[in-house]
Amino acid sequence: MRTSQLSIVASAVLLLSLMTWAQAGAKPAAGQSLSVVASPASADNLLHGGPAAWNQIVVKHVALNRTPPLYDTDEPATLEIPSVDVRTARAGGKLLVQLNWRDPTHDAIALPEVPDTPPETRFRKVQTEADDRFFDAAAVMFPAKPGSDAIAPSLQMGDAEHPVEIYYWNATRGAMLMQAQGRGTTRRSGQSFPVNSTYQNGQWNVIFELPDLPSGTTVAFAVWNGSQKDRDGRKYFSVWQVLE
Amino acid sequence: MSRHQYAMVMDLNKCLGCQTCTIACKKLWTDRDGTGYMYWNNVETRPGLGYPRQWDRIGGGWKDGSLQPSPLPTMDDYGHAWEYNYEQRLYEGKKQPVMPSPEPKSGCNWDEDVGGMNEDENYFFYLPRICNHCTYPACLEACPRKAIYKREEDGIVVIDQDRCQGYRYCIKACPYKKIYFNEVTGKSEKCIFCYPRLEKGQVNACAAQCPGRLRFVGLLDDPESPVHKLVLVHKIALPLFPEKGTQPNVFYVPPFNPPKRENYGKSIQEDPRVPLDYLMYLFGPDVKDVITRLEAELKKTQEGGRSEALQLLIGRDAETRFHVLPQLVQIQL
Repeated sequence: MRTSQLSIVASAVLLLSLMTWAQAGAKPAAGQSLSVVASPASADNLLHGGPAAWNQIVVKHVALNRTPPLYDTDEPATLEIPSVDVRTARAGGKLLVQLNWRDPTHDAIALPEVPDTPPETRFRKVQTEADDRFFDAAAVMFPAKPGSDAIAPSLQMGDAEHPVEIYYWNATRGAMLMQAQGRGTTRRSGQSFPVNSTYQNGQWNVIFELPDLPSGTTVAFAVWNGSQKDRDGRKYFSVWQVLE
Repeated sequence: MSRHQYAMVMDLNKCLGCQTCTIACKKLWTDRDGTGYMYWNNVETRPGLGYPRQWDRIGGGWKDGSLQPSPLPTMDDYGHAWEYNYEQRLYEGKKQPVMPSPEPKSGCNWDEDVGGMNEDENYFFYLPRICNHCTYPACLEACPRKAIYKREEDGIVVIDQDRCQGYRYCIKACPYKKIYFNEVTGKSEKCIFCYPRLEKGQVNACAAQCPGRLRFVGLLDDPESPVHKLVLVHKIALPLFPEKGTQPNVFYVPPFNPPKRENYGKSIQEDPRVPLDYLMYLFGPDVKDVITRLEAELKKTQEGGRSEALQLLIGRDAETRFHVLPQLVQIQL
């Protein structure tokens, strides 16, 4: 097969796969369900209590996909993080989601502290130390109106009829809440949410505290690998999972 | 396309390399946290490395309607900020001289006045650079957040700091590398053509402060403006790297004066001080015609005639050099 034919076939396959994850559709099939345990531990203990609090909670191995190149000028990226381990628990009126994934590169920094005084009153200003680094990050996305819909929103940040909430955590810049109604519409609400992250032995462990979501809600996960220059839609994503 | 387009012309024959424009800009706009390395306006020696280093060879811009790839310049290309060990020398009694740390290896105007050789003669000139506020901005196309927009009323290209999320696709796309990332705020920043000043009838800070009086500002579509006359009537100003496809709105009168040593009586094109190849590299093939026109204007005055174009380039007063029309570009609410 000539290269041009190959690329046509490849484009068709890519288009089909894009269509399946880009559009709002029927509920995900069985096998994409996440069991949610009602934990005897408190939400705070699950968030800050270390691994012991999560020992009894079943882990689900969720496959991650790499977004196809979004722009002509994108550098190619390989699948370095093939999956994320997910644990979910209900406690104290909250839903706690623990994401655990292997990432040998720890792409996070402590940003220099910016003094409270206005910069024009200071002789020394805080410097930009590097302009070309990107940081590890992860997110949990779910419908803004959980449970009220029969179909799942578009995986590409929802769609006009199906807005989504995104709980986004960045290893350097922290937790931030976002809303979106389709690709390119993401807005930061300016609010934060409780999160706890640790990086040990090449593993990220990030626990998100979400509002309690009813059984049957679809959730999806995303992981960004800073060393692969991930940001924006250049990332790893899972397909929708259903909370049991 | 915007309804109007502000533009700037810089006459490179008059630039002293004094960096007054750079400081005017820096004091006004980039004296904040995270902006230390940002020079929305910089002046670099040409031929030379430029700022960031080798920006003209990195990539970006358009080709056949598609954005062209480019890596991000690194802080090694901009130069790391350094500090001097004054405390050790002045208060701790250390005998060694005051030294910068980390060792400076690059910086803005790092190779000042080095230039190049034209046969056996050294030559250089200064190239002041701001954002080109392009008609077809590659940065705007590259931004997935749609945080960059071209103001409809005056064509100035700005980054909405609320929408920007610091993805830096714009920096890659800009063939002039005139967008800078602020790691403190996590957002990208660039020259705003001093639009808050223009809206109050004041010309850009870099142009207002220029002791060489080499900057001309006005609307390209205003027949009364000096930029309209220099670019479209006299046709003696050209954009930088036109082949990058963004259609810049900053134009340069190429350096053609003074003549090379001992070439009295020869045409500048016959024995140029600055090699024509280098000027063609910067300004494209049209630079030949521009130099021919400039030479003809010069000859006219040398023979006792009057040249409108050269009179304008002298730019004796602010009224000649600047034509700011705030009433024309105010947003209609």
